[in-house]
Formats: sequence, C-alpha cells, structure tokens
Amino acid sequence: MAAVLGISAHYHDAAAALVVDGRIVAAMQEERFSRIKNDPSLPRRAARACLALGNIAAADLDAVVFYENPYAKLERVVVSLAREYPRSFRQFSPALGGQLGSKLWVLDQIADMLGVERRIVRFVEHHESHAACAFLCSPYADAAVLTVDGVGEAATTALWRGEGSSLRCLGAIDFPHSLGLLYAAFTAYLGFEVNEGEYKVMGLAAHGRPRYRDELSRVLRLEADGSFTLEPRFFAHATDTDVGFSPALEALLGPRRPPGRPFDLDSNEDDRRCADVAASLQVATEEALLGLARAARERTGATALCLAGGVALNALANARLAREAGFERVFVPPAAGDAGGALGAALLGSRDLGDPRPAPLATAALGEPFDTGAAVDLARALGLAALPVADASAAAAARIAAGKVVALCRGRFEFGPRALGQRSLLADATRAESRDRLNRVIKQREPFRPFAPSVTAAAAAALFVGAPNDMTPFMTTVCRIDPGRAATLPAVVHVDGTARVQTVTEPSAPDLAPILAALERETGVPVVLNTSLNGAGEPIVAGPVEALAFFLQHPVDALVVGDALIERSPA
Amino acid sequence: MSESVLTLRPFVARVTNRFVWRSPRRAARILFSFAHAEAASQVDLIVAAQLTSSPVRRALYVRHALDETRHAKLFSLRSAELLGKLGLPPLGIVRPDAEDLFERLGEVGFLAFVHRGEQRGRRQFDSYRDHFARRRDERMRALFDAVLVDERRHEEYTGTLLREVAGGERAARRALRAAAAWEAWRTWRRAGRALAGAVYGAAMSVLYVGLAPLLLALRPLLRERRRWVGAERTGAGGRS
Repeated sequence: MAAVLGISAHYHDAAAALVVDGRIVAAMQEERFSRIKNDPSLPRRAARACLALGNIAAADLDAVVFYENPYAKLERVVVSLAREYPRSFRQFSPALGGQLGSKLWVLDQIADMLGVERRIVRFVEHHESHAACAFLCSPYADAAVLTVDGVGEAATTALWRGEGSSLRCLGAIDFPHSLGLLYAAFTAYLGFEVNEGEYKVMGLAAHGRPRYRDELSRVLRLEADGSFTLEPRFFAHATDTDVGFSPALEALLGPRRPPGRPFDLDSNEDDRRCADVAASLQVATEEALLGLARAARERTGATALCLAGGVALNALANARLAREAGFERVFVPPAAGDAGGALGAALLGSRDLGDPRPAPLATAALGEPFDTGAAVDLARALGLAALPVADASAAAAARIAAGKVVALCRGRFEFGPRALGQRSLLADATRAESRDRLNRVIKQREPFRPFAPSVTAAAAAALFVGAPNDMTPFMTTVCRIDPGRAATLPAVVHVDGTARVQTVTEPSAPDLAPILAALERETGVPVVLNTSLNGAGEPIVAGPVEALAFFLQHPVDALVVGDALIERSPA
Repeated sequence: MSESVLTLRPFVARVTNRFVWRSPRRAARILFSFAHAEAASQVDLIVAAQLTSSPVRRALYVRHALDETRHAKLFSLRSAELLGKLGLPPLGIVRPDAEDLFERLGEVGFLAFVHRGEQRGRRQFDSYRDHFARRRDERMRALFDAVLVDERRHEEYTGTLLREVAGGERAARRALRAAAAWEAWRTWRRAGRALAGAVYGAAMSVLYVGLAPLLLALRPLLRERRRWVGAERTGAGGRS
C-alpha cells in the first residue's frame, strides 16, 4: 500500500496527481492555481493541493514519479542538434541552455520543492506515462494502446499492449517523424499559437474542403506498415522551433496566415484557403492515425483501443478511429495531453510498489473542491448579492431554459482541458443565439468555433449517433447528430453535422446531472450547451476569486457558486 | 509617504517622449509591452486575492486585477490599431507571466511593491498623457487619461492598505524601502542573468564552431530512424 505523487512539468501544462493504495485521489494542472495558461513550471501549488486533498504530508509519500526521462531527453536534443549541423546553429544555445540549465535537474528540483528525500524521486518514460494514463484509467482488461504526441524523449508515437496492470511496448516511431509536430507546425502556419490553437485548427477544418490532400501527401507519407514519415524539408524542428515549418511549406501551400488577423470565411479568399488547408491537415492526420490504429489491431489482436498524447485530443480523429479502425471500443482519458502524464506516472509508481490497478476512471472531477463559503464572503465584499437557493440545479435550469447564460462553479474542478460540468458556462442548446452571444460577447473567440452539448446518457442515443460510448463522458470524441434532430439543437451542432458530446451520469458529472434532469423537467430537452468557464487566453476557473472575477468581467446572467446564486438582474 | 519614492523612469520618459513616440511602429511595440505588464500584474493580483486571508482585501485585489485586464486590452487594441494603419499584423497574443510576488514577499512586501509600481506607472503615464495633449493626439491622450484614473486610485488604495497591514506609517515606509531594495536586487540579478546569457551564448557559439569536425564526422552515424523501431531501441519502456 503506497502513496505516490506523479509530476509532469517543464514543457507545457504542468500537473500533479496523487494515487494512494491504487486509488486516484486527485489530479490537477498548475495553470488553475498560477493563472498562467498551460503553465509549464513545476506544479508546486497543484502538488500541495493534491497532498492536502489526500490528507498526506510530503514526508509520507512512498514515491514521487516524474513523467519523463530527463537524461534520454537531453540525449535526443544533442543528437538532433548534431544531426542538423550546421543548420542548428540558432537552436544550439537555447536548446542546450534549457536542458542543462534546468530540465536535467528536474528530479532534484522536485525533491527540493516537496522537501522529500531525493531517493524517492524517480522517473518513467514519457510515452509510458501517457500509455498508463490511458490504459490504467480505462475500463479494459486487455487493449492496444497508442500514444501519439509531439515528442517525448526520442519517441513521438508508441504502440503498447496493455494486459491487466502491465504495459508492453511493441514499437515506436522516433523524432522528427511526429503527428504532434506536424499539427503544431500547421497551427503556426495558420496563424494560431502552438500548443493553444490546435483546437481552432480543428474547428476551422469543418469550414474547408480538403483540396490540398495531394500536397499534404508530400508532407506526410503513410507507410504500408501503419507508420508514417514527415518530409524534413517542409519542417524546421531543429532550426526554428518557434514555427516549426520551413519556407518550403509556404512554397507548397501559399503564404502563412499572419497571427491575430480576424477571420472572415465569407468573403476573404485567403481565409477560405486556410480553412481548406486545415481540412486537408485534418484528413491527413486522421488517415495517419487510422494507419497506426489498424497496425495496432493487427499486432495485438485486441478488441479495445486506448489513446493518449496530445494528438489524442483531436476529437474528430478519435471518432473516425472508433468507426473505422476495427476496434469494438475506444477510450481516451480526459487529460490525454502532458498533464495526464502526471497521472500516468503516479499510476505506474503505484503499480510498481505493488498496489492494484485503479477502478476505471468514472469522472474528471479530480481537482480542488469549490469553497462556497469563501465565494459568498467575497461576493459580499464585492457588493454582489449571493442568495442561498434551496435547489441550485433547478435555479440554474430555470434560467438556462429562459435563454440566460449561467456560469456554474460546484464541486471539484476538472482534470484536463475540458469543462465537464464543474466549472462550466451553460446555455440553452436549442437557441442559435446562445452560440453567437457566447462566441462574440462572452468568450470573444473566432466565430467558426463550435460549442459542445452535454446530454443525459439516457437521452444521448436518441440524439447523437454512437453515443454514449467510452469517450463521451469526457468529451474526447465527436458524434454525428441524428439528422432529424439537428434543427432542434442549433447552438451545439457544428457545420459538419457533428458535436463534441458529453454524456452525463450522476457519477461522471455529479453537479451537471441534476441540472440536466431539471432542464428535462422544465423543457423536455435534457441537453445544454456546455463550454469552459474562462475568458479568452485564461485557464479555466478554479476557485472563488477567479469565478467572481469572471462574473464581474463578462456579461453572463447568473453565477452559481455551490448552493448560492448571484444574478446580474433578478429573474 | 508616496511622494518620497523617487524613480528616474518618469523623468526619463519626459525627456525622451518626443523621440520615443515618433514612430508608430515603435509606439505599437511600447503599448504592447504595457499590455504585457498590465496582464502580468493582473495575474499577480489574482494570486494575491487567492492567498490573502482578508475577504475585504481579496475584493480589492480582484477589482484591481479587473482594471489591469481592461488596461491590457486597451493597450493591445491600440497597438494593433497603430500597426493596422501601417498594414502590419498585431504583435500577437498578450501572454502574461508572473513572479509569485505574494508568496515571495508576503502581503506587506507585495503591497509595497505594487504601490511603488502604481506610483511609477502613474507618473510615467502622466507624462505620456501630457505629451499627447501637446501633440493634440486625442486618441492617445484619451487612452492614457482612461488608464490614469485607475492608476491614481490604485496608488491611493495600496498606500492606505499598506499602512493598515504593515501596522502604521513607519512600518509602511520600512516596507517601501525593503521593496525598493528588492527591486534593485532583482534588477541587478536580471542584469547578471543577461550578462551570463550573453557570455553563455558567445561560448556556445564558439563551442558549436569548434565542434564542427567532430559533429560532421558523427553526422552519418546519427541518421534518423524511420518507421517502426523496436521498443528496446526507442527508450520507451525504460525506468529510473
């Protein structure tokens, strides 16, 4: 029986996760505390919060496990710089500086941060952390596991066989051949921020036609054995890591889109070209993932597939894998990216110390609980009336049904990039104007970006094709809406007829389920538009301070904090 | 108390305004840097609001943080507008960073630091506002006027809070001196880091050139591996 803390840090989206006696106690991203989006720094406050939730002192930890091998990473950086000599001149100094100045000493830094003995701090490999996060949290006893991201130590993609508590690596694809870096390079090419704008590329793809497929096939070559290679001349991984693509890519597809220019898909020809590039990239990525998944099916014979790594956040691709890769079931955890590596590392540490595999992950609500008392005190100090309500869920549902936008802060915040009903903005999915108001006025984001629906698991099958499935509780896939129902949910159906559905049950989203039940009683439609509770460029709200700041800053109609309601104007 | 805090920056700003703001491109860059500073300040204030023990101060920090967010937006919008007139794209997204000031300095030290910053900012923006008023640039004058209203309020409330939390005027003065010393130490360390960075950069450049024979000889052996490679060769599956 052991207490193990997992840590991911020093690239982006640092996180900590605590596993005690094989049970997942807590998992949180540092950004929620530091308020720096995708904060890569050591997760000091997240680790502290995990330990507090587990009622464990750092001295009582049996192991602290870092999610990647810093020595192998340094080796890959050095080899890659040497391989590109002399073109790597610009990157040589900063890349080695980053490794030798800080990242190489991360295990000592973690020991210092926690005040624990260095001997209990160890590491596992990057892709094994991802694989553990996906497989050990999944409901499967036996599965093929694919981990696909930018790059870990040397591997960018790995295929695993998961059986019981064990994970065996069957093969990997090495840097620089990377679907994550391909997507990142195109994200920069399309004028979005890398590690932040990938969702925007996905949203944009639905507005384009994949008319650059031939060009993309020169950039990304799919092999008969399911692997892939990137054509190096289109990339600049070792020479210009800021953008990651070379002038050859612009020669192939046209000039890059300047960052920050507002999108106009109706009348700007260049923006339409960019949408077509995004659509072509999406198709190429999906086909590469399909090749990998089919190879995984063939090599493992497993009927279930687990996916993790940053690329596994591509919900559109995950849906296609579920349909076409030949697996009966597919699972993608809520924090499939680097944050999830902290949980995977903790689970591996726990397993290695003899603890059992945890129960399948039922909910992403693994963060710090919301402090309702502090929120009410702060609201009063800010001159806001926080009224206690007997049934906050019914109060929220009534306002949503009346066309209002409600911010919801209840229970423990979510682990991963999705708000799943603990820190959410909720609106009526049946009104198209909900989407427009949220996009333009509240979230202030690009008009082409879709919003997701949350629906009771019981009603999901009648509305969305293929729902519920193992991914829908965590919003890691999309489903096509039943053609006959598309017109009834205009705020949450994307232009391609899909929606990133969350299916809700009491265990998976304990604070959203009663709202949907109340909404069903009120309107007959147990569906709500659900988007993350954050302003543009900000991390999702964690505690009372950010919740109240959000309410003061954005024109939402009501804020539910625990069992209290704050309204901009009374209903 | 606050008038005793002297800084050179506002004086320098008065002298150099005419040159600094002449080029719209440079003006856009300066405004963007203000947006960055305001956004970083917003993050520090939100973290302070999370950590303070007093609901009243928490509310004050939240209000202040919201002002900083608004200022950041005003500055970045104006920056983008100036560049837009030149046919140039905006300078990007304002990405705040933070220094964990509240945890490092404690609440008294944090308040002293913020008070000094607000005072400095108010004087600097005052001089910019006057400069644009003289040049009859109404847009820029209005921008700084709008920000100055808040800066004055921030300067005043942080001064009052500082006296209250520190436990009197003398303790507040002591905290301001400590904050000034900490800022000077931070500037010194930053300068040291910049110098070390330059030396490191130069040394690495020399090393890079010096390594040429070795790296060129090794390069054929370091060919990238394509397609599937075995688990034992990838490092995947390894352990400490």
